[in-house]
Amino acid sequence: MSLADELQSERETSTGPLVEVRDLEKHFFEGDNILDRILGNGPVAIRAVDGVSFDIHKGETLGLVGESGCGKSTTGETVLRLQEPTGGTVRFDGDSILDMAGDDLLSFRRNAQIVFQDPYTSLDPRVPIGETVREALDIHGVGTLEERNDRVRDLLERVGLSEDQFDRYPSEFSGGQRQRIGIARALALNPDFLVLDEPTSALDVSVQAQILNLLSDLQEEFNLTYLLISHDLSVIRHICDRVAVMYLGEIAEVADVDTLFESPKHPYTEALLESVPRAETAERDRDIETLKGDVPSPRNPPSGCRFRTRCPKVIPPAETSIDQQEYREVMHFRELVEDAEISIHKLAEDAGLSGLEDGDQNLNSRETAAFVEEVKGDVLDTDLTGPPERVVDEAIGHLAEADWESAATVLRDEFESICETDNPELSDDSQPVACHLYET
Amino acid sequence: MAKVGIVLLVGVILVATFAPFLATQPPQEQNLEDSNIPPAGLTYSSEEIAFVDGERQTVTNTVQGSLDHPLGTNQLGQDIYSRTLYGARTSLAVGVLGTVIALLSGVTVGLIAGFYGGRVDDGLMRFADIMLAFPALVLAIALIGLLGPRTLEIPDPFVAAGLADGMPETFTLPLTVTLVVALVNWVWFARIARGEALTVREKNYVKASRSLGASNRRLMLKHVLPNSLTPIIVLATIQVAVIILLESSLSFLGFSGTNLSWGFDINQGRDLLATSWWISTVPGLAIVLAVIGINLVGDWLRDALDPDIGGERGGM
Amino acid sequence: MSEPILRISDLSTRFFTKSGQVNAVESLSVSIDEGEIFGIVGESGSGKSVLARSIIGLIESPGQITGGKIEYRNAPLADEFRDAHPDAVNGDYVDLRSLPEEAVRSLRGPSFSMIFQDPESSFNPTLTVGEQIAEAVEVQRRASSNPRSTKARTSSSEYSLGSYAYGAVMPNRSFVSSKSKDRAIELLQQVGIPDPEERVDEYPHEYSGGMLQRAMIAQALAGEPDILIADEPTTALDVTIQAQVLNLLREIQDETGMTVLLITHNLGVIARMCDRVGVMYAGEVVERGTLSDIFDTPVHPYTKGLLGSIPDLDTTGGRLQPIDGNVPSLMDEEMGDRCYFADRCPKAMEQCLEEPDDASVDGGTDHEVKCVLAQTEYDESQALGDSHFGGGDT
Repeated sequence: MSLADELQSERETSTGPLVEVRDLEKHFFEGDNILDRILGNGPVAIRAVDGVSFDIHKGETLGLVGESGCGKSTTGETVLRLQEPTGGTVRFDGDSILDMAGDDLLSFRRNAQIVFQDPYTSLDPRVPIGETVREALDIHGVGTLEERNDRVRDLLERVGLSEDQFDRYPSEFSGGQRQRIGIARALALNPDFLVLDEPTSALDVSVQAQILNLLSDLQEEFNLTYLLISHDLSVIRHICDRVAVMYLGEIAEVADVDTLFESPKHPYTEALLESVPRAETAERDRDIETLKGDVPSPRNPPSGCRFRTRCPKVIPPAETSIDQQEYREVMHFRELVEDAEISIHKLAEDAGLSGLEDGDQNLNSRETAAFVEEVKGDVLDTDLTGPPERVVDEAIGHLAEADWESAATVLRDEFESICETDNPELSDDSQPVACHLYET
Repeated sequence: MAKVGIVLLVGVILVATFAPFLATQPPQEQNLEDSNIPPAGLTYSSEEIAFVDGERQTVTNTVQGSLDHPLGTNQLGQDIYSRTLYGARTSLAVGVLGTVIALLSGVTVGLIAGFYGGRVDDGLMRFADIMLAFPALVLAIALIGLLGPRTLEIPDPFVAAGLADGMPETFTLPLTVTLVVALVNWVWFARIARGEALTVREKNYVKASRSLGASNRRLMLKHVLPNSLTPIIVLATIQVAVIILLESSLSFLGFSGTNLSWGFDINQGRDLLATSWWISTVPGLAIVLAVIGINLVGDWLRDALDPDIGGERGGM
Repeated sequence: MSEPILRISDLSTRFFTKSGQVNAVESLSVSIDEGEIFGIVGESGSGKSVLARSIIGLIESPGQITGGKIEYRNAPLADEFRDAHPDAVNGDYVDLRSLPEEAVRSLRGPSFSMIFQDPESSFNPTLTVGEQIAEAVEVQRRASSNPRSTKARTSSSEYSLGSYAYGAVMPNRSFVSSKSKDRAIELLQQVGIPDPEERVDEYPHEYSGGMLQRAMIAQALAGEPDILIADEPTTALDVTIQAQVLNLLREIQDETGMTVLLITHNLGVIARMCDRVGVMYAGEVVERGTLSDIFDTPVHPYTKGLLGSIPDLDTTGGRLQPIDGNVPSLMDEEMGDRCYFADRCPKAMEQCLEEPDDASVDGGTDHEVKCVLAQTEYDESQALGDSHFGGGDT
């Protein structure tokens, strides 16, 4: 019996999802050293992964897609327990991997492997590639040295390298070839589950296509289950069966791949799909509604829905009648007021006021009106009308007295949205989505 | 420059090894008749006031250097050439052994601190920082005072085999000094090893290995240590030179436990510097040449041991 | 149509490295029309960034431009140099390679400017973003008040030792005039930085990646350049931010009518932005034409392969058609006189062992291909086996 058969025969089967992730949380702590403690600074939590749940079924490919810093790679590594989570559970074939130790953990490691993004740091430069691929077999003490070397040669051939490259060093290989070596290493113990962490992001498109085809072939041949982490939506679409979209440490939407790409529900998913430039001639004339602003810092994520600061569909309070365009304008203004980011002193000067001292200022109504106009002209892109305008004017009136607090309160009382007070839960239906728009 | 360094270093090593064959007389042999003879080819005249027949006269003593004592003798009439050869043994033995002990302990501590991080790292590295806060020489002297100047007598294999008759049968290794210089210098290794381990442990090949089920011990020995080695080796070369200097300082100050050492000899000639200058100058030059040689080799190693074998990411 | 604003012919740039000569750009010819966005697409190591640097004379040792012409159409400039450097001038065109180095330097800013892939390392972290943009404005201002004199830009009192010492003692006193700073604010506004009056005084680390890329564009616009060279301007950015920056570049190009040379590996970005495209492979432009020539009716097997390699965003599954093998090393000793793509080409024939000429497709004027297939049909009996190249390892 060859080593490959031996490794194969140890399979056990059970029903249910292969990987079950529930409320997974990974917070990093910054500023937790002695000096910070002496100075009395508390540690700052970076919520890299903040309550993520999903299942991966046997034989499928689940895609995890999101922009840089959304926590997708951390999720992948935590699922394999390469990093210890700070909360939540991960079950593999029904067993909680976070409670594993000793032999249990070792046998989990046999069944779950990872392929990394950067083919240049994923191979030890001082170890010949044959030995790198053999390492898993060495660690688990499988077979004789002869049998292990035979298996390594088979694997090298299988991933498209040649067996006489066994003794070469990583520096002699191109990026695509290194990625093949990384895949061979991951396959050595015949695992059931592979985490593919941006496996093609560092490669040129022509080489990327080779690797994607190889991954598809291997999945079919060895009945593998993949968690594919990528920021590249076209790769996700090409290779995945289901997709989970992540934003700032949370899952925004999960759906099977065709549904997600053809009828996305979450405004973030929509924006993401719209942003990707297509390689076709019609692309030039396509109108792209881009998202405003940048991804907020996971040190200080927005309250409520994480996406609300960039969302084009924030839900206005029911009692206010305001269109989306105006509402976003007001919300932007509110943000500036809450962060005290309007240069009121300069604007006061521009409005012809002599100065703006904190508190003890008595402006007459004409002066206040001039200031209000000046601020609106500087901060707002569109003109407001009706009741919203009156509220904004009132808020600016407080600013004229340098009273940020009252200005913020006035605006919050009138315009507070459910999107900033409640963080939406992932819904429990066929296309789970975490957005207030779809709550009944 | 690398060639000069290698020639100097190999020279010192050869001299230290084969001292019993190269020496012209046992290094400790005293001959008060022949004190203060200058190096071969030089003459040294001194005037001294003597009373000859009850009269006060100025007598001129002229001493001629000869090949019997190619580098002259000291005030005890010991042959400086032979003493300098044997002194190389002490310096090199303390330098290499001290560095090895410092390296083993420092790298172990540094690797563990860097690899595990967190509290372990904090604790070990704060301790290392405290060590660094003391002036090396003061710390060394205090430790020697604490431990006492112990020595270890090592039989000389050449003499035991009857190949170099008449030479000392044992070589005196100043044990305390060796331990103390290691104790003073391990911190540098710990810091470098920690820094490297911090970088290497984040590499994906370490993560990949972990996901294959590798134990921490395996990760450290198989991946982290080999990929941290280059700067450690370079540091080790430089440290040999640093320790040789430290040993010389200690024996100059009389804390050595052996009286066969470059530093000790410099101290001996200290009072006669104005007259019998060669007593201090010869061992002094020996130190300078040895240290320059080792540092040149260290610089060359730094360039030669490129951290990425074969040049990562291949050209352009 | 008017004459091209930039005419590059037979340009060769080589790097003389320790391990041998690298032919990064190899007898490359291409013309860029005024006011268009011309895209250069290629994989890593195709020489596309070296081409960009060659144009504005930023090739540094061990690299060297070893041959060819880079002709830039600028009538006043041509008049100015007609007497002093008659060999550099040809009608309204000036050959940048034949001009003295300081003259080329004085063109950076008002004629050419460049934006790079990595905005983080393109800004000095110890100066505010505003100062760095205002500095670019200042340099342009001085240059235009005293045209073509490089001395005027670097030896004015602002750069003197005295002012340096003054700046060291009074670090808050910036050396840029308030006029330049106002212009910097204007530029930041133009590239869509919110609240530019505040932002102008912030340091690069206070900007996000996308905003820094905008700030870099602002800096490049300071001299109101004729030609903007954008080298992978969005590669380091997330897709949603990439979409913002691409839209911004399009708007600016629309407003100013400047010529843009856009260099990228991303065919989607090319499709979104460009009027005409050149496909680079191994230091050569192997195919060029309008967007539709390249995307709808490609001729060169490499172009076809590149397009076949991209997974389609609008369909699931299916098999990709990758190009076998790897991008060649560009080492001179391995390059020979043949079609460089032949060893990866599914349609390589005996003729491909000789270097192919540029040939236009269907007798048209603009769609040119460096491949024998432009004029001959593929003939299987002439097919090349793997044996010619010592087996392709992938």
